[in-house]
Amino acid sequence: MNASAGHAASPAGMSWFLKVWAVLLVLTGVEIFLAYEELPLHTMLILLMGLSLIKAAMIVAYFMHLRYERTSLVWTLVPATIFVLLMMNVFFSDSLRIVRLGLFLH
Amino acid sequence: MSELEVAVTGGQEIWQGGESPYAIPSKKLGMWLFIVSDSITFGAVLFCYAYLRLASPDWPTPFRLASIENATIMTFVLLSSSVTMVAAVEAAKAGRIAASVRWLGATMLGGVLFDILHIREWLGLIHEGLRLGQNPWGSGLFGAAFFTLTGLHMTHVTIGVIYLCIVAIGFRRGKFTSDDVEISGLYWHFVDLVWMFIFPLVYLLSARIR
Amino acid sequence: MHDTSKQTAEHHHSPPQGFLWTHVFSLDHKVIGKQYYFLSLAAVLIGMILSWLVRFHLAWASVAIPGLQHLSQVGAPGGIITPEYYLSLLTLHGTLMVFFVLTTAPQAGFGNYFLPIQIGAEDMAFPRLNMLSFWVTFVGFVVLVSTLFVSDGPPISGWTAYAPLSAIGSDAGPGLGTGQVLWVISIGIFCIGSLLGALNFIATTLDLRAKGMTLARMPYTTWAWFITAVLGLLAFAVLLPACVLLALDHLGGTSFFIPGGLVVSDKLQPHSGGSTLLWQHMFWFFGHPEVYIAIIPGLGITSHILTATARKDLLGGTRVLVGCMVSIAFLSFMVWGHHMFISGMNPFSSLVFSVPTLIITIPASIVTLNWIGTVFGARLRLHTAGLFAIGFISVFVTGGLSGFFLAQPSLDIYLHATYFVVGHFHMVMGVAAIFGMFAGTYFWFPKMFGRMMSEPLGKLHFWVTFIGVYCIFMPMHYLGLAGNVRRYSAFVDDYLAPLIPVHKFITISAFVTGAAQLLFLFNLFWSMYRGKKAEENPWQATTLEWTIPSPPPFDNFGGRHPVVYRGPYEFGVEGTPDDFVMQDSPEQPAKS
Repeated sequence: MNASAGHAASPAGMSWFLKVWAVLLVLTGVEIFLAYEELPLHTMLILLMGLSLIKAAMIVAYFMHLRYERTSLVWTLVPATIFVLLMMNVFFSDSLRIVRLGLFLH
Repeated sequence: MSELEVAVTGGQEIWQGGESPYAIPSKKLGMWLFIVSDSITFGAVLFCYAYLRLASPDWPTPFRLASIENATIMTFVLLSSSVTMVAAVEAAKAGRIAASVRWLGATMLGGVLFDILHIREWLGLIHEGLRLGQNPWGSGLFGAAFFTLTGLHMTHVTIGVIYLCIVAIGFRRGKFTSDDVEISGLYWHFVDLVWMFIFPLVYLLSARIR
Repeated sequence: MHDTSKQTAEHHHSPPQGFLWTHVFSLDHKVIGKQYYFLSLAAVLIGMILSWLVRFHLAWASVAIPGLQHLSQVGAPGGIITPEYYLSLLTLHGTLMVFFVLTTAPQAGFGNYFLPIQIGAEDMAFPRLNMLSFWVTFVGFVVLVSTLFVSDGPPISGWTAYAPLSAIGSDAGPGLGTGQVLWVISIGIFCIGSLLGALNFIATTLDLRAKGMTLARMPYTTWAWFITAVLGLLAFAVLLPACVLLALDHLGGTSFFIPGGLVVSDKLQPHSGGSTLLWQHMFWFFGHPEVYIAIIPGLGITSHILTATARKDLLGGTRVLVGCMVSIAFLSFMVWGHHMFISGMNPFSSLVFSVPTLIITIPASIVTLNWIGTVFGARLRLHTAGLFAIGFISVFVTGGLSGFFLAQPSLDIYLHATYFVVGHFHMVMGVAAIFGMFAGTYFWFPKMFGRMMSEPLGKLHFWVTFIGVYCIFMPMHYLGLAGNVRRYSAFVDDYLAPLIPVHKFITISAFVTGAAQLLFLFNLFWSMYRGKKAEENPWQATTLEWTIPSPPPFDNFGGRHPVVYRGPYEFGVEGTPDDFVMQDSPEQPAKS
């Protein structure tokens, strides 16, 4: 069973992947710089999550080739995963409340 | 096809049975499904970590410059091993078996190097007093979350190295195809992807560089 | 293009040889399906016996059960169950039933057997993974049952294993040390087996459909197994890390779920910082989709059998049923907090959870109304399978109605952890799913074993069971409203003592109903060897499983690749000799 037509080698080739790699390294550098800056936790969280999501999307799209697969595969895999992960955010309604109630966990 | 089905699938014949509607081998779809499930697993552990951290007023931030440097090198190694993996897949698809196996070897080396740096880091932290249940700096949950998350990830890396080894040997012998190399690549990139979240959320948010 | 029809062909050029490869480590989805089915049967028998012990104790708390002291000297000295052992037995009952019966037989049992056949495939997409999934599940079962025989028995923390009781260890009570760790290991192993199985089902349904088998032409059961598999893939992924974290609290000295300052059994626990609510969130995030995993295959099986019973397609057809199942699956990830209304969680969350909980009743009601609309005015062929399918509607409605009450936080404050809840979930999940399993068994037995089950015995089994489950579980709603708390082993409070006669009635009903299941067991095993030989299509149904011999050959379709020309439930088609047309029959121009 050889590679099927349509997505054998990626349309772009290794140079493109090296560019993606370079961007990922730069973004990582930005993240480290932010840590050095010692911004408040909430700001850091939003910025780091945002950058991580961009990096993850690039890895999924390019290294894992999802960009070059049939769109139906993307629709099958991605929305369900994101939906489940988003729903877990409801947990935080309790973790933050624990702090605000002043309950000492020690 | 019914109207609704046309609306959902675009009326494409590829959805009418007899072939994979995604035009990929089933085992590749299987690996993607595994990745969906495993990302939710890692996501759940990350949510637990975030939950507990947000609820703890005494969360320590013990990572000094040396730790961050080490973690940065680990990140660089893992990202680079992803690139060598891509090269391996490209070579495999082009039929260059020997080159592909060499790139797979490079990827495995990256994974092993990652593991070594990681264990060294663990040993250092344990020497400083970090344990699963307690540490000298603050909430005992820091060690629990740290070791669980990174331990889970390191297990995945190690399994990945073994997996790549099996694929490399099998590919060289002609037992496996370029599809199998590609599928192992998916797993490897996923492991890298998880680290893209662990590095900032665990290391950088607990850093005290200055 | 990936022609997947040849994908599993490599495995099936010739049938395997040798006992080990044909009966133990078989890659044949039909054998694996039967293995899961019989594993579930063993689990349900143990679970039922455990329920008898529990029910007996509730009705006659001071009467000894002869011989029980040999199972546990500490738990049942002189044959009388201690309060702690009561909880141990209850925990094992719940865990076995929910995981190894309700999650296993309808999905992994029937699904494994019939999904490939219904889509026209030779086997699952990953036969070796399938075999592994079964044996992994089997190991999980053995580990769970082993808790009965080790140390101080099964954990007392319930199938829900709430922290901190489940996380502290043996200081908190019997079974919470070794027993709880074994429980966690067992469930963790079960998660892995389920995840691998779910992966297999999804890939098979998407990739291995025969030519002409569009998604719209898939039978209701295939859709149900597919949607359930998607739920399983997403939900078990959360239970697995929860189990790992709980295990670490036991074995690693962590405090994920244990807050500080706990004094248990006069000992200050060496833990701090954790959150018991976190366990509940993680558990129920899995736990709610899990109950839909338990019931959606039953929805599919009931719908599937009703078409053959009523000799017409379901009212609303595929698009309504599938639309409802998909809505239920989607919403199931948004309602988990309704198990936590009185847990002390953020009260605003209660509102946020109760709204989708009420919304989820809508697709469930639509499905139910469609069933009733299908049965209404139809010339029913009331074989046993049909009776159980119609019985499913009844118990599903009964169990579902009490859900409306529990969905409101204001009412749930009173009803939570009472017998009202016990009655609710047993009816809507336990009994309904069991009816689905019975329906499936009576319907598909001829195909699986090549013989017919006894109809008279089946009908007797149905009527005693149907009346019996109402006798058992309806009074529980009354008990709950009267304030009867669940998971109590004895009722000594003055407001509970008058309810004991009700408990006695329930217990006696439980014994009678349980005895009736012997009818089923006898019928099942006797018919395997002595039943009348079955033809290819004894129920005159339309889907692909009825186009192959009973029992099917090892590669299902005898080497041919079926082509599908029509929808799955073409009954009452004009101009045909019988009142139905098979899915793969091209004679007339196909309806869409």
